[in-house]
Amino acid sequence: MMSKYDLPKNFDYKDVNLLKQFITETGKIIPARVTGISASNQRKITRYIKIARYLALIPYTDMHK
Amino acid sequence: MKKYEAIIILNPNLSSKVGEFTKKFEKTLSENSFSVKKCEDIGRRQLSYSINNHNKGHYLIFNIEGDPTKLIDVENKIKYDESIIRHLFMSVKEHSEGDSQLFLDSKNNKHEIEDDNETTSKSKDSQIKQDDEEESNKDSQKSEDNESSNEDQKKDPSIDNIDDKEKDDE
Repeated sequence: MMSKYDLPKNFDYKDVNLLKQFITETGKIIPARVTGISASNQRKITRYIKIARYLALIPYTDMHK
Repeated sequence: MKKYEAIIILNPNLSSKVGEFTKKFEKTLSENSFSVKKCEDIGRRQLSYSINNHNKGHYLIFNIEGDPTKLIDVENKIKYDESIIRHLFMSVKEHSEGDSQLFLDSKNNKHEIEDDNETTSKSKDSQIKQDDEEESNKDSQKSEDNESSNEDQKKDPSIDNIDDKEKDDE
């Protein structure tokens, strides 16, 4: 099955637009069974999203003031 | 020797003094055996959530290399610097070559913002004009409403009359 996401070879927490594809409108991380990307890529995405959240690049939730 | 990536979010009110800060920061780094390989000034950026009542932050990214045991000293100094609203040191296997995506985005945004400033100033004026027009329209509508209500009252008896006539017919 083809994945609908074209992941670059190297990406990190600074690729905000890429990471935004993997969070819901409420800021949650979309599960691997929905994204359909490989397990190792999903782990990377998860790790980078959490770093980007800490640096206020992407929101934790939509409930921020 | 280990490679690190340092991300620092500065107080946006001090973003005019970025040059001073980077010099100071590079000095503290060099005092603690660190060498700066690259420094990216990403500039002011909207924060996704407010940190210490700041809605914007000035992002800086440093690629540094140095002794891991000395990193604690650097962090201790940074901790009590009030111009920094958030910081993060991350160890990396290799420093990324070329500009980061954030840096490229900020470059593109700068051009857009400049364009926006020109258009927004114009659009604001036009908006104010529109608001005035709307208000005047509302006033006129109110007066129209009053007139129409009067007309309705005038019409009402006639309608009643018609109804009466119809009843009469029946």
